[in-house]
Amino acid sequence: MSVDVATTKRPPSRLLMLAVRVRRANMFLVLLFALLVGLSVGAIMIIVTTPTLLNSWGSFFSHPGGTISENFNTLWFAYEQIFEGSLVNFHALRVVIDHPSQANLAVVLGPISLTLQYATPLIVAALGLAIGFRSNLFDIGGQGQVIAGGLLAGLIGFSLHLNPLLQISLELVGAMVAGALLASVAGVLKAYTGAHEVIVTMMCNYIMVLFMGYLLITNLYARPGVKDGASKAVTPSGQLPFFFSHLSPNLLVNYGFVIALAMVFVVQWFFNRSKTGFELLMVGQNGEAARTAGINAKRTTIITLCLAGAFCGLAGMLELTGVDHFLSPNFGGSYGFDAITVALLGRNKPWGVFFGAIFFGAMYAGGEAMQAFTPTNIQYSLAQVIQAVVVFCVATPALIIEIFRLTDNERFRASGAAGGWAK
Amino acid sequence: MRLELRAITKRFGSLAANNDVSLVVEPGQIHCLLGENGAGKSTLMNVLYGMITPDSGQILINDQVVTIRDPKDAVAQGIGMVHQHFMLIPVFSVADNIILGSEPLKPWPFIDHRSATERIVALADEYNFDIDPSATIENLPIGQQQRVEILKALSHNAEILILDEPTAVLTPQEADALMVVMRSLKDQGKSIIFITHKLKEVLEIADVITVMRLGEVVGTTTPEESDEAALATMMVGRDVSLVVDKPPAQVGEVVLDVKNLFVQDDRGLTAVKGVSFEVRAGEILAFAGVQGNGQTELVEALTGMRAVMAGTMELNGKNLVGSSVRDVLDAGVGHVPEDRQRHGLVLSLSIADNLVLDQLGSPEYKAWWGRKLKAIEENGKARIAEYDIRAQDESEPLSALSGGNQQKVVMARELSRELKVLICAQPTRGLDVGSIEFMHRQIVAIRDEGVAVVIVSSELDEVVALGDRVAVLFDGMIQDIVAPTTSREDLGLLMAGSRPALNSEPRS
Repeated sequence: MSVDVATTKRPPSRLLMLAVRVRRANMFLVLLFALLVGLSVGAIMIIVTTPTLLNSWGSFFSHPGGTISENFNTLWFAYEQIFEGSLVNFHALRVVIDHPSQANLAVVLGPISLTLQYATPLIVAALGLAIGFRSNLFDIGGQGQVIAGGLLAGLIGFSLHLNPLLQISLELVGAMVAGALLASVAGVLKAYTGAHEVIVTMMCNYIMVLFMGYLLITNLYARPGVKDGASKAVTPSGQLPFFFSHLSPNLLVNYGFVIALAMVFVVQWFFNRSKTGFELLMVGQNGEAARTAGINAKRTTIITLCLAGAFCGLAGMLELTGVDHFLSPNFGGSYGFDAITVALLGRNKPWGVFFGAIFFGAMYAGGEAMQAFTPTNIQYSLAQVIQAVVVFCVATPALIIEIFRLTDNERFRASGAAGGWAK
Repeated sequence: MRLELRAITKRFGSLAANNDVSLVVEPGQIHCLLGENGAGKSTLMNVLYGMITPDSGQILINDQVVTIRDPKDAVAQGIGMVHQHFMLIPVFSVADNIILGSEPLKPWPFIDHRSATERIVALADEYNFDIDPSATIENLPIGQQQRVEILKALSHNAEILILDEPTAVLTPQEADALMVVMRSLKDQGKSIIFITHKLKEVLEIADVITVMRLGEVVGTTTPEESDEAALATMMVGRDVSLVVDKPPAQVGEVVLDVKNLFVQDDRGLTAVKGVSFEVRAGEILAFAGVQGNGQTELVEALTGMRAVMAGTMELNGKNLVGSSVRDVLDAGVGHVPEDRQRHGLVLSLSIADNLVLDQLGSPEYKAWWGRKLKAIEENGKARIAEYDIRAQDESEPLSALSGGNQQKVVMARELSRELKVLICAQPTRGLDVGSIEFMHRQIVAIRDEGVAVVIVSSELDEVVALGDRVAVLFDGMIQDIVAPTTSREDLGLLMAGSRPALNSEPRS
């Protein structure tokens, strides 16, 4: 009989046990460290790309203190701008505490409202893509579906003058139908011919970008007398109203955010409770078993892609009627592709997607502020570098676990959170 | 080569996968390692092959203590392993697979294919293997692929071969051929460690039998000193009934009536050629036959998963041809599929979810507002208790369960519906003796409740033990439907496609 090892050793101290528990990898720690790595890499990039900072290292050996403080102050200021430009402006907060007024409050809330405005379409589009990813269907056509939604919502938006509630509902339904119809092409082809959805949806992106370009010079869409490709504007009755417009015109968050928030709950219900959501997960995990259990895999594939498309279409409508109010040749921007990253960042979980999108929105807003307010105009794209590094780290938790010597947590791994899309 | 494992202990947390296990394999010996799933056989072999480091214990080769840190060390010591799931690259040729990792080079970096092929042909000749070195792996039958694995181990000068449940994937004919190969290897002085839980094979081929249970060696014996019942008792730790205890069938009305059924396989060839049979309430019709004679296609057609080319299928007089899988299930057909992991279960989902996989839409588990998670959870708890499924709780993912418990989940799920017909394909494939006994009892119990049961099995023992009538499939046709008391020789002849003169039961 072997000797039981545990009884011969002194039990480990409580402090050690606590340390072990704290070090155990979980989503919060991984995110925290990912942000730390992102900010560190961003700091190096800022130093390397800013001539004054780079030159200051020349005198590092004669005045080490001066070099370090100069670098630190610039970096601190840059990151302060990102923070204050996206979340809360502390200077304004101090002002509003001393002189409470509506106008001052609006200044405090300005940055966060900008973040939420940027995040709104991303939340919805990424939720849609997450539905597909759960079922192992990689809808890369977010961009095209956003455009499809925007095109139909726009047509309804600028050609009708109805009761606002009715018109906005029409736009919403129209945009979702348009996105779903576009995605259904990929769904039907996948189900009946086996054509890979990645190829089909990606090609649909090109078609939709060019189709929109064409429509924007036709009389149907083009704004009379304008040659820059801008469309007619959505009538006021078709625009999503702003929340706090009575406070200040600078508070940009609109009712689209409420719709997006509602969609988080809808998708959460869909994944956890609905029969279709469960079937879709089954088809994704084991299509053969799903078929044996009487699930029509073809139908599920089509439904999944249609849902993904509908959400992307809705994102297009929220962007158009909430923010832009008219279509232009680069409508939709990179939302379709950023949504893929957000879905990845959020690990296809509704709340993960929600906060992932908020993070992206904050980096858009903060990046702009950093470029505008730093004396050397540190480029907006550096915020995107930080963003990219964070996504990279979250997508490969093994890296963070290794760098920071976290204890491996089997449950964290087993939850699928650490696996990313390793399939 | 003489191999000795001395007092190997390996713990995973509080579980001792191997506790003080010792084993001696003499040169030229076929040593069977017998035990239920989870008895620690695989852990022990992984220790030997360098994939797991033991907590304590020694490995001795020719009475010298050796350290085996990884499979490379093991191969260098002359240990070869043939895994249950082959480690071959399907699109490569036999020769390429064998030389992979130790390619003979003519001026670097070119591979010397000719000398490689010559070496493999010489090796194959030495052991009387009939194999074409230029054939592509994916085109070879499983039995041949296994020989490639064995050849690969031999090409690394293996003196001791570990075969991990090699017959689990083989047809009876291929298994017989493997036995011949094993004997010829033994004659060449190679030692073999043969892992299995099929008692017949063990008694047929072993020189020495070591039985493991719960991580410990329960005993070592030889075929001469032992028999099936004794081995089963050693393995399970209690008396196991190897005979199915079955009262005579109380036969009722015809439930499933199949006439002149034609079905194609995946390649578009006709696999089921005019099969007709009836199954009555309260009886078991067992299909015997060598794997690949239309069984898979027949079952898939019966369950709506495969299109029927011609013929009729009626359930209580209601046509089933052209119905979707959902309709067939709803009509009262239970289906225990051939490959439970591929078709029967979603391994990443919880036990509770898997227990309702084909009942998602039933009002018991779904209301207008969505799935009733509480009801699903309670159903999970109840079935786990009822079927003695060994699991921590109902929320555990199915992948954590052993094969026997996974099959219990499939069976529990199918039996929880209102059934008229139960179709079981290979209901006990890969299960250990204890689980087989359990499955057989369940099948007989559901028969006695008046359900018509169709069994398809490549295990002749199972067919004869369970069937009230035995239908023999050959080349997509029913050769004959006979009584289970028919002699094995006659059944064997029927399975091989000839018709012995015997008194077959009337078909109606």
